[in-house]
This record gives sequence, structure tokens and C-alpha cells, in this order.
Amino acid sequence: MNWPGIARRARAEAARSPAPDDRALLARVAAGDLQAFERLYRLYQPRLSRFLTTLLRRPQLIEEVLDDTMMVVWQTADRFRGSSKPSTWIFAIAYRKAHKARLRWPDPVEDPETDTRVSDDPAPDDELDHQRLHDSLIRAMDQLSADHRAVVDLTYFHGLGYREIAEIVDCPVDTVKTRMFHARRRLKQAIGGSLADWL
Amino acid sequence: MPNYSSLDQGGPHDEAESLLPWYATGQLEAAERARVERHLYSCAACREQLTLERRLIGEFQATSPQLESEWARLKAQIAPPPVRPARPSGLAELWSILSRPAVATLAVAQLAFLVVAASLLVSLSRPDYHALGSAPAPAAANAIVMFRAQATQKDVGDALGAAGASIVGGPTATGAYLVHVDPARRQALLARLQANGDVQLAQPVDGDSP
Repeated sequence: MNWPGIARRARAEAARSPAPDDRALLARVAAGDLQAFERLYRLYQPRLSRFLTTLLRRPQLIEEVLDDTMMVVWQTADRFRGSSKPSTWIFAIAYRKAHKARLRWPDPVEDPETDTRVSDDPAPDDELDHQRLHDSLIRAMDQLSADHRAVVDLTYFHGLGYREIAEIVDCPVDTVKTRMFHARRRLKQAIGGSLADWL
Repeated sequence: MPNYSSLDQGGPHDEAESLLPWYATGQLEAAERARVERHLYSCAACREQLTLERRLIGEFQATSPQLESEWARLKAQIAPPPVRPARPSGLAELWSILSRPAVATLAVAQLAFLVVAASLLVSLSRPDYHALGSAPAPAAANAIVMFRAQATQKDVGDALGAAGASIVGGPTATGAYLVHVDPARRQALLARLQANGDVQLAQPVDGDSP
């Protein structure tokens, strides 16, 4: 029997196989498996980093809150009962940590002229419209509250349903719908003049 | 069983409109999706809104807040300061100046000069009377502290805590804080802050500097 060949094929098969699901990883983390925790960290770091950047505005704070979040996951994974998705549980921890950080460190003072400053970037005509739309959207997001930004980002980028978002931000589903409704209205107003180009 | 909100109770249009983001991302249950689709068939406004939802989703998918944040910080260092239409005075002006990201690019010596010059304005604008019976005023800022980019929140908290400084304003996007320190020991406390490797600048701001 050609064992080296079998082992090689097994390794190749393992490389092709999908990553273990979050539940399996969390169960291993609960048992103190550091390797599983590293995989979980690598899976969630980019998503949490984006979510926290949307909620908080300071890179140093984002890093600190992300570390705190993942440390809570490491230390309390055995308390995950599986009634929600692991991603919901982890994002909810991140949201609570971010909320506490915001209480300690209010949002930075914004440059009052950011909204009115005209970009002097040279841009080709065919890129100008899209760049203007993009800038309008970034500014519009900046004008929303952190709670509204969270719901918008969890919906549009992370693709979560309103029930899951309600669990993460710990509020009734009606509140999620209401926040999204008002956030969309604010976004629509803010991108105002650019709206015709969008439709 | 869908959970109806106050938005939904306005009828099929309001319900569909409130659910459109999750219809566009494919996150609705079958019954909700069917109701939204029935409404879309007859409502041009919701069809237009759905187009907007899809554009927004595309934009959000293509946007990186991390990248935007880093770019804004870098761009602020090279963009010339804008021309201001009105000229505020006193502490507001000082704070406005120090809130500009471009200020972070100045050398410490230049910045110190700016702080001292602006401090004079603050001292001139301060009222020299206090009405009888009025509530005690909150502690006024009497120093400004800027931290280096690599300082963590803990570093900031530790440094200000060690100097007994309470935050009155800030931080700005560049990490500047207006703080209040014990006036009697201000020189020594600022010297302690200046000796901290995380502190870029610690200066008095009320014109009373020795």
C-alpha cells in the first residue's frame, strides 16, 4: 500500500475541504483549543474590524475593542448555547464593547468644514460622477448616529436580516426597522443632488 | 410569523417600504418576500426605491471604512487649510485651529507658537467678573495636550491620569485634548506630561504661562 501517496492525497483533500463551521470552531475554543481560536480570529477579524470602524472612528480604539471582543470569545465560548448563530453572538459582544468604549471616549471632534470642502482631486470625467456619489455616501454615513450606522452596515454590507440585527444590538425588531427606515431617508436626503445619477 | 412594526401597520406600502433593504439582500422569509413582491408589482415608488437599495448595497460592498479612514487622515496632512468665511474668536478659534488635521503636520515648535498666540486671544476674551448667585463654572481648560499617533487609549488615559488632568474638550481627529490641570502645579504637571514619550506637545493655553 502506498502510504505516502495516501497521506499526500489526504493533505490535498484537507486543503480543498471547506473551513470548519463556526459552531465547530467555537466548541473547540470552549475546550481551550488555541489553534481553533486562531482560525476563528482569522475568520472574524476582517468583519469585526469593518463593523467597529463603522461604529467607532479611531483606529487605536478599534484595535482595542476588537481585542477585547475576541478575548471575551476566548474566555466565554463555553457559555455559547447555540440558540443564535455564532456570528450573532460574536457581533453582539463587539457591539456591547463598542458601546462601552463610546461612553468612555466620545466621537472625535469633526472638522466642521469637511462637508463643504470641494475636492480638488484631478479625476477623469468618467470617474467623476461615481466619485461624487461615493463621497456623498461617505459623508452621509458620517452624519448618522453610531446606532444607525450599525444597522445600515449590518444590513447592506454584512447582509444580515433584521431579526439577527435586533439580537446583535439588543433591541426590538421594530426598532431595527425604524432605525433603518430613518437612516435610509437621511442617506437619500444627504446624497440629494447625486440621486438622479443613481437611478 | 413576521413581526409587524408600527411602520408596517400603515398598510402594504409602508410594510413593503420598510422591508425593501432586506428584500434586496435576500433576507426575508418567504411570506414577507411574497407580500413585498405583490406590492412591488403595483407600486412604482417602491420599484424605484428598490433600485436605490441595490445601488446602496453595491456601494457598501465596494466601500472600505478602514480605507476611507486612513485615506482621510493622509489626505488631511497634505491638503491646504480651507479659507474660512467667518472669523470666530477666543477658545472656539483656538479649538477650531487645533481641530484641523493639517495642524498635526506642524513641527512641535511651530505648534507651540500657535498655541501661545491663540492663548492670548482666549485670555483677552475671558470675562473678568462673576455674577453673585450664579452656578459655579465647570473647570476651564488651561492646557492642551497632543499625543503621538502610536499612543493607545490606555496610554492617553494613563498619561492624563498621572498628571491629574481632566479632559475638557477633544480629542480632535489629530489626538489633541483641551484639559484642566491643577493651576498651582501646572508647570510641573505639564513638564511631567512633556517627559512622557507618548506626548507630542503639552502647553498652557490661557496666556498665564510663566
